[in-house]
Amino acid sequence: MNPRDLELLSAYLDGQLNSSDSARLESRLASDESLRAALDNLRATHILFRQLPTRRAPRNFTLTPQMAGIKPPAPRAVPVFRFATAIATFLFVITFVINGLISLSAPSFAAARIPSAAGAAPSTAHQESAPAAQAPALPLAASAPTETSSPRLMSAAPMTTEVPISSGAGSVPRTAGSSTPEMVLKSNAPQVENAQPMNVQRNELSLPFDLEILFGFLAIGFGITTWTLPRNNERSFRKKWNKK
Amino acid sequence: MDEPALIQSAQRGDLDAFNTLVLHYQDALFNTALRILGDDDLAADATQDAFLSAFQHLNSYRGGSFKAWLHRTVTNACYDELRRKKRRPATPLEPDSNDGDEMDSPRWLADPRLTPEQQAEADELEHAIQHCLDALPVEFRAVVVLADLQGLDYTEVAAAIHAPLGTIKSRLARARLRLQECLQGSAELLPVAFRLQEEQS
Repeated sequence: MNPRDLELLSAYLDGQLNSSDSARLESRLASDESLRAALDNLRATHILFRQLPTRRAPRNFTLTPQMAGIKPPAPRAVPVFRFATAIATFLFVITFVINGLISLSAPSFAAARIPSAAGAAPSTAHQESAPAAQAPALPLAASAPTETSSPRLMSAAPMTTEVPISSGAGSVPRTAGSSTPEMVLKSNAPQVENAQPMNVQRNELSLPFDLEILFGFLAIGFGITTWTLPRNNERSFRKKWNKK
Repeated sequence: MDEPALIQSAQRGDLDAFNTLVLHYQDALFNTALRILGDDDLAADATQDAFLSAFQHLNSYRGGSFKAWLHRTVTNACYDELRRKKRRPATPLEPDSNDGDEMDSPRWLADPRLTPEQQAEADELEHAIQHCLDALPVEFRAVVVLADLQGLDYTEVAAAIHAPLGTIKSRLARARLRLQECLQGSAELLPVAFRLQEEQS
């Protein structure tokens, strides 16, 4: 049997021939016994093949959300906690850095005071009258204007007993010695008054350590919540799905 | 079952809707995979892969016969399995019994509706036909399984195999002829009832 006849017979079996091709083949089948036998054999094979038992699936092939890569929608609180984590972390870093910088600058504050006290060049009107007080003014100059800090810093003597950082107590006689008596007298009155605000200013500069710890704990707490919230949600989603 | 509505829901990500479709088509897809691969475990793997792939690419379904579209995914999964099988040692069709011999009729594959005699006959027939199917080139096997076993029309088979209609007609005719020759040549594998039918025809 040639391939063309085979294709015609196969398509004829499936009813896929158009009416003219079908009529032409039927007329040939009526006269050609071998072609008829070939068709019968093909039909028998077709019938036999359709006897092949249909198996039931050995298990269900349904997909689970995990298989399908479906994740439950994140809880609404997650972005809030994420933002809170970011803010708390930022504040923690800021407080940490500020406190770190201040504690680093404290030794240089004390060290820089002694050499500069001897020969610091005056730069402002107040500094001219109080050259020895120039050294302590330097670290504070970054945060407070020189003009306002200078008179206060002239009162370094009472401060040194209270603030260990400016422990250059030896500078007191030099400060006093390098100033004229009038100036000492002139400056003594505000010195006593200014001693307390000075301490306050120093304390204000270094942020409370408690705040640093608080921000640290908040950052960790919010971070853990941000991490665990979606996971707990996913776990409960899976449990709910498995119960179905 | 409102198939179009389920498909639409599944396309929107509704896994329940898709699983309803899975339950409806899983027997058909598993049988297609089983006849193409000739191995239960591989067929189960291919069917699972096919459904997973179908869900992931459901948006590429643009209408037409969903059955044909699903059979396309399972045929592709079977081709992948066959490629993998070539790289791995072959797994026997029948599992080993306790004494190491191959079991002709694994107990868990038995159909509880059949008597032992009917079951034995069904096993023999299945064995003979599967033997001849395995001898066919894989592209012929896929066409004859989809057309004759699953009852897909030529257009659906063409869509499933992704081949022109003329190729499908030609492959199907040649596959049927080869199957016929194989079954006549290995008549001793066929159950007696079917042998007599063959002889009569």
